[in-house]
Amino acid sequence: METFARFENTPLSIWFRESGVAFFSTLTLHSLAMGLVVGINIALGLRLAGFARSIPLQGLRHFYPLHWFCALLILLSGIGLLIAYPAKALTNPLFYLKLCALSVALLLYRYFQNWMASQDDEINPTPHLRRLAIIMLVLWIITITAGRFLAYTHWVLLASHLS
Amino acid sequence: MIETLLEFSQSTGIYGFMNSAWGWPIAESLHFVGLCLIIGTVGVFDLRLMGLAKATPLKALHRLVPLGVAGYLLNVTTGIMFLTTAPDQYLFNPAVQTKLLFMLIAGINMLFFYATTATATRATPALAQAPLRARVIGTISLTCWLAVIVCGRLITYYRPPYHWYFWCQ
Repeated sequence: METFARFENTPLSIWFRESGVAFFSTLTLHSLAMGLVVGINIALGLRLAGFARSIPLQGLRHFYPLHWFCALLILLSGIGLLIAYPAKALTNPLFYLKLCALSVALLLYRYFQNWMASQDDEINPTPHLRRLAIIMLVLWIITITAGRFLAYTHWVLLASHLS
Repeated sequence: MIETLLEFSQSTGIYGFMNSAWGWPIAESLHFVGLCLIIGTVGVFDLRLMGLAKATPLKALHRLVPLGVAGYLLNVTTGIMFLTTAPDQYLFNPAVQTKLLFMLIAGINMLFFYATTATATRATPALAQAPLRARVIGTISLTCWLAVIVCGRLITYYRPPYHWYFWCQ
């Protein structure tokens, strides 16, 4: 807790927390990037799970650059939010659940990306891949839910304010 | 107005659910899932209209749109739950009003698309550029949905009574 309290008193943490523009633009960027990443994952996940089979899977590879750019924005904005309130997130088990679900979902996306790169134009996902696609969609729902619940379940907001 | 909305919320059980231990965050989570469904279906279709992933035929991608409608309905439902439970926090909030304006523009834009451009757009083969009008419509649509996310995030920031803008009087 002392480490958190010391960090919260650094000029960078104070700026992120107390400058309304810095905090809300970081939060907004986080939501925008999440919306785009999850959205693209939903499109790929649904197609792999068997929905809208007329969509050629290879066509979806053009979304990779946008997807990974937004994933980078999630990481950077997430670090910004963590700098503002380190104790709030790092003392809450839900934060780790969100982090794990998000990481595994992104790894699955990468796995699908590699799998599609090794296939020709006419590819059909195997039952195993369909199951993995459904798992990826569930992981994104867990990520979103854990993220929303973070705002309601923290037991410490600022370590420096604990008496 | 506020009393009517609160009465509706209380008589339908929404108020009780939203004020339960986890009611509000559950509704918020569903709201964001709905928004991601819209981005993943309508947004991806918009990106294709704008020229991304040309190898994907527009007709095939359009098959995802009904799921976007499902996401939209989920968001209208959860949005009504927020609004009727705390109407004073939403009715006079400039971020909510701007969000609703962007939703309205997105709605009109979509109606315009189906009335004027949808048939020609669906006929666009893979690797071909969508018609110019469809590209403009796609750009407006995606911009509106991203603006909806931004405004939604700013609702907390512009919570009344601290931010009373002239159009909220």
